[in-house]
Amino acid sequence: MKVTLAMKPTARSFIPIEAESIVPKNFLAGTDLVVWRGNRELRLDEVFTVTVEGHADRSENVEVVLSGDDTFRLKRVGEYMEAGKITVLGNIGMHCGNFMTGGEIEVRGNADGWLGREMGGGTIICRGDAADYCASGYRGGRKGMTGGTVEVFGRAGDFVAEHIAGGTVIIHGSAGDMPGAEMHGGTLTVHGDCSRPAANMKGGSCYVFGTAQGMLPTFRKIGTVQHEGRTLIRFVGDVANRGKGNLFVRDYVYLD
Amino acid sequence: MIVKDAVCPFCGCLCDDIEVEVDGDRVVAVTNACELGTKKFMGEKRLKNPILRDGDAWKDITYDEAARYAAGMLLSAERPLLYGWSGTHGEAQCVGVHMAELVRGVIDNTSSVCHGPSILAIQEVGHPGCTLGVVKNRADLVIYWGSNPIDAHPRHLSRYTRYAEGFFLDNAFRDRKVIVVDVRKTETANIADEFVQIKPGGDYAVLSALRAIVRGKTETIPRTVAGVTREQLVRVANLCKGAKFGAVYFGLGLTMTRGKYKNIRNAIELVSELSRHTKFTISAMRGHYNVYGSNEVNTWMTGYPFGIDFSRGIAFYNPGETTAVDILARKECDAALIVGSDPAAHFPRKCLEHLAEIPVVQLDPYPNATTAFCNVQIPVAVTGIDAVGTAYRMDGVPIRTRQVLSSGYPSDREVLLKMYTLMQEGKGQ
Ligand code: SF4
Repeated sequence: MKVTLAMKPTARSFIPIEAESIVPKNFLAGTDLVVWRGNRELRLDEVFTVTVEGHADRSENVEVVLSGDDTFRLKRVGEYMEAGKITVLGNIGMHCGNFMTGGEIEVRGNADGWLGREMGGGTIICRGDAADYCASGYRGGRKGMTGGTVEVFGRAGDFVAEHIAGGTVIIHGSAGDMPGAEMHGGTLTVHGDCSRPAANMKGGSCYVFGTAQGMLPTFRKIGTVQHEGRTLIRFVGDVANRGKGNLFVRDYVYLD
Repeated sequence: MIVKDAVCPFCGCLCDDIEVEVDGDRVVAVTNACELGTKKFMGEKRLKNPILRDGDAWKDITYDEAARYAAGMLLSAERPLLYGWSGTHGEAQCVGVHMAELVRGVIDNTSSVCHGPSILAIQEVGHPGCTLGVVKNRADLVIYWGSNPIDAHPRHLSRYTRYAEGFFLDNAFRDRKVIVVDVRKTETANIADEFVQIKPGGDYAVLSALRAIVRGKTETIPRTVAGVTREQLVRVANLCKGAKFGAVYFGLGLTMTRGKYKNIRNAIELVSELSRHTKFTISAMRGHYNVYGSNEVNTWMTGYPFGIDFSRGIAFYNPGETTAVDILARKECDAALIVGSDPAAHFPRKCLEHLAEIPVVQLDPYPNATTAFCNVQIPVAVTGIDAVGTAYRMDGVPIRTRQVLSSGYPSDREVLLKMYTLMQEGKGQ
């Protein structure tokens, strides 16, 4: 079953729309769903032109396609998603794929903050850039992402994979400040440059195939290793907190 | 008439030993307060009554008309923002939270642009803090990190640290060491026993390095960290470990620079590490006299200290998303009520552009930069001068401010209650 949601241009387009009802499972029972614009409850068809093709009796067989110029205003799409597929043709707003445990989300454009927050499983692919807190945890939480995969083909903002405890995050472009801060498990790979990776890490592995700017002084240098055809420098840390994480960088610059 | 033990409603020190001489409805002299406090007590020119924007001019309106305008504005908005709150008393802040919940808006206070990051850090790793009195009487080492009390909290030094007597210190001035950490040599740095000058953006690295050194991992640390030599770091670490009671006070130089809440988290974790060797505490140098109160009131009423979004009928908190600067910059609200603060003086231009496009009502004793963005401005009494109310000192101690004169202006609480009652009627409650 394919559900197409073409977002209508709206006059008050600056108010975000919270659309956690947009998960494949919900469409098995029809399209009689609601979303919220600020404090107003709206029917799905007030915001989107809804088209359904085919039929499905399991979430796995449902694909939701989101289109329109304003989809970057949509928050919480795919929250708690367990199975099926969501494709966003353009940009998507904050908290896409929060708490997701299965299925796949593909964002063809850019994703706003908190993409795949506290994700437990499944796959998120973002073809464009991801803003801050991609694959991170929630404020004050100790565990961020625990499983699944987030792959960003563009750049990522600050604090990507903050508090990551499991799962895999791959950033093909550069990342901002403090990727993998407080990480205690899982794997984060940044193909480009970033600054201050793996701050205060306790466990897990962080790879930086570019340059680590402002490299923190509290990582113990072990030596060089070969990884996927690259020569990387291996560090262990963060010794500020008895951490036993692994940080691999192609090169690094201290703020000295 | 002389009013004794008045409370200064300017900075987070909330000095409660001020003497104010009043002549009719005017303050004529202030003793004990610092320059900032004195200026606040002496007051400025106020509006006589609420004003409504009428094209390019202002029109005088009554308090009832102003309240009706505000209530209507908030009731019809899809995502109203209720911002400010650090310059008013706790009782008014309570009404604000009720209003936000009723209209399902977003309520945020100025901590989102000052010590919000400190709170985020505290939510991650806790807060080993204490009251100012404990520091005054016990601390033999005080560290000011990214804060400049001589400018921002002038009496902090004389009442609690450098120049204060301490019950458990024989000769406080001699026995109490002061370390200042900053990116430039501030005035406070001049009176420090040790000044650590850090390259901008290097606080996090220095804090990490200190933690490692306290843990005995000095060999991992490079020769210099953000402009600070390893020798100095070791010296500072030893000073800290050797102290009987250490207190760290940090300011916006730590919360609002690169890394923000991670800096604070790192500082708190350094304090935790030091507490394995001696007694150490850490506290924020809160700026506005009752910004701490806005966090307290919000927390006891909603569970969260600032940036609370009631759109969905329950409290949702996510600084970076539900905080005023972010909401305005992203044009995510359609009306704003500003109470006891001046966002136009501090917010980025992008935020002000949106503020100019939406209806804005402001409650403030004085016209300020935000007035230019207002549709309605409502003059109110100043808490601690012509209104009473509770404020929270920077260390979380609630202090009841005193009224030193009568001016006839209503308090924030009175005006907000008027609006709230109208809003309840509007909602059919
Ligand atoms: S230190 Fe702060 S509270 Fe005390 S008098 Fe000065 S401005 Fe007022």
